[in-house]
Amino acid sequence: MIPAPRRSATPTPRADDTVRDEVVLAGRNDRPARTTRPLVRRFDALPYVLVAPVAIFIVGLAIVPALFTIIESFFTVDELNPPTRFAGLGNFVQLLHNHAVTNSAVNTALYVVVGVTLSTVLGMAMAVLLQRPFRGRGLVIAILILPWALPGVVEGILWSGIFDPNAGLINSLIATFHLGAGDGVLLGQNRLLTVGLIGLVQVWQMTPLSTLLIFAALQLIPEELYEAAVVDGANQWRRFTAITLPLARPGIAVAMVQALIATLNIFDQPYVLNGAASTGSSVTMETYFVSFQNLNFGQGYALSLVVALVTVALSLLVVRFIYRKVEL
Amino acid sequence: MTTRRSRAAWQGAAGLTAVALLTAACSSGGGGTPAATGGSTQTSGVTITVALPTDPPPQADLDAFTKATGIKVTWSSSDWDSLQTKISAAATANTYFADVTNVDWSRVGQLGKLGWFLPLETYLDANSLKSDMPQLASFTLDGHIVGVPYDSSYMVTTVNTELFAKAGITTMPTTIDEYTNDLKQIKDKGVVQYPLNIPFAAAEGLSTYWYETTQAFGGTVLDAKGKPQFTDPSSPGYKAAQWMVDAVKNGLVPPGNINVNDSQGEQTLMAQGQAASTFSDYSGLINSLYNVTDSSTVSGKIQYLATPGVNGPASNLSNPDGMGIPKQAKYPQAAAKFIDWFVSASTQEDFSGLNGQDKVWGSSFIPSRLSVVQKLAQAGSLADGERLAGMLKTASPVFPDGAPTWYPTFSNAVYTNLHAAATGSMSVADAIKAISDVANQQAGNS
Repeated sequence: MIPAPRRSATPTPRADDTVRDEVVLAGRNDRPARTTRPLVRRFDALPYVLVAPVAIFIVGLAIVPALFTIIESFFTVDELNPPTRFAGLGNFVQLLHNHAVTNSAVNTALYVVVGVTLSTVLGMAMAVLLQRPFRGRGLVIAILILPWALPGVVEGILWSGIFDPNAGLINSLIATFHLGAGDGVLLGQNRLLTVGLIGLVQVWQMTPLSTLLIFAALQLIPEELYEAAVVDGANQWRRFTAITLPLARPGIAVAMVQALIATLNIFDQPYVLNGAASTGSSVTMETYFVSFQNLNFGQGYALSLVVALVTVALSLLVVRFIYRKVEL
Repeated sequence: MTTRRSRAAWQGAAGLTAVALLTAACSSGGGGTPAATGGSTQTSGVTITVALPTDPPPQADLDAFTKATGIKVTWSSSDWDSLQTKISAAATANTYFADVTNVDWSRVGQLGKLGWFLPLETYLDANSLKSDMPQLASFTLDGHIVGVPYDSSYMVTTVNTELFAKAGITTMPTTIDEYTNDLKQIKDKGVVQYPLNIPFAAAEGLSTYWYETTQAFGGTVLDAKGKPQFTDPSSPGYKAAQWMVDAVKNGLVPPGNINVNDSQGEQTLMAQGQAASTFSDYSGLINSLYNVTDSSTVSGKIQYLATPGVNGPASNLSNPDGMGIPKQAKYPQAAAKFIDWFVSASTQEDFSGLNGQDKVWGSSFIPSRLSVVQKLAQAGSLADGERLAGMLKTASPVFPDGAPTWYPTFSNAVYTNLHAAATGSMSVADAIKAISDVANQQAGNS
């Protein structure tokens, strides 16, 4: 039997009690030293001071601009038509009547569907493939991450060489293998094809991160669960649906949210690959055109606000329906 | 053991570090933000920032300037689009960004109205510039010089003489009808499948191509009040749009060109001998691309062609690059000295290679001074130089009265709708109507 620990008459002070005790005793040197903990904790400024620079940066570079955007979106801020004046919902109404904006909203919705779906499915598949240790797994993961590390513009330029209708890789292969004339138009002719191909480029970039996020979740699943399932006679598919998928939900949710944010804000890939053409333009591109080509910042703020609100709303939906807290 | 004093010292140090970090991060890195207007009149011993969408000239050139004036130069290169965004963002936020930066001809109206750039006639000898720079008009608004052209890019027609000869064409076309028939002949004889290069990607290059073609058909795009001049099917602008779209439909232009921009078309079609001609090409490309054997298979085969017009050669479209002084410049006087030096005849001769190869500036295709272009042509340093110098004399701006303030919006409408017409998703008539609606709306608002 293990004896219960005895309460010491003079408890050993903890390291962090030292200063506190000193504070308590300040000015009371005539009294015997107290070793009990004070009822009121002394305010410790150090953590706040250390966090302050980052906090100020976040407030200055995120919170303040966000508030500024919200407020200014209700004003006419047009450099070519001053002064700034209250517009109510005027900016939002004008954007609704702007065909380029509504067209880009449809394109962006397609980018979201293609990007979030494919990057999540492929990320899940790759994470499952990487789940079991094998020789060279670290190298595979390192190579896998490369597309994610590339800037969007670089990707766009890289893929423009692949999609180029006159000298691109795809048409060259088609011609080489006599599968066609090799002068097929890949981008710009048709909205669905254009958005689909540009979406694939973004999937190529996003999938590594999705894979890593889901892979991290899979690494937390105890091997015993799979062993028990095997003993119970569960086949691979059953083990996947009953163990892997449910327990990977936190990782899947985070992967979906990051894909959602990336696809809703897609800019580099369509801009580099397809220019300003309506077949592939995104809402973020229109925000750029409205703000920095037309210098109508009020409408630019309004469009940015709409994108931000949609991003938050859809992210909350993903968290609500996909995310589940897992305790192992 | 941590004592109270040492903890206080920690907190103080952390606080100081925080403040120092914030100060360092938030400072402009150049001694603070100057006042919105005015700026130092100091010229000697200062460092100015020059932000242009090109690589810097050789250090020897910049060193020579510093030696002569005492002004040091920090060169900041970025792509054209990013630079335009930076100019707008800095001017809107009323903050310093550069002492000298790009002034594109297409934004002169906008920049002039907004007053974002200092009037250069107060800093430079305007009369002297006008006499030797035919394209200065493109940078002048209401009598104020917003920028000075440092490169005299203008649109020209280029032809692959070998491909024309293979089709049996020995006399070069002088009218648009002859030109079109020659292209058909090249296609019909199977010399190349798609003889004409038109970059139909929805980008600025497509708008420029249409302006040049409109000029070749004998007209302009907008009048002095910004009203569209291309809505009538018999108007030059309408005919130009129809001609361009028909060229795709009739198989003169590769179908894939709907997603090819101007530089792609030059590099993958013209420079590889895949296309026989570009109607609206950039002056100087024979020197900088087509005759460069590393990137071209048509060296020595491309020549400039006086732009085929309705009844004979038409004028060429100015497309120059300029530089100006933002209002927030720290050292406007020093910046003016730099511009004065940069566009001087002697510097442009250096950049062009007339005074040796160590001072040649690769980005400077054609000097903006007519006198230097003529010297280059006489020296034989410019491929097809005599013809090029002749065309510079007749180069004229898209908007003789200055680009409208809403030009970027208009251009966006031009290239997106002409692109859509080329893809077949809308007719030429609908594209023209959509473009003119934007022009009318914008002209009405301004």
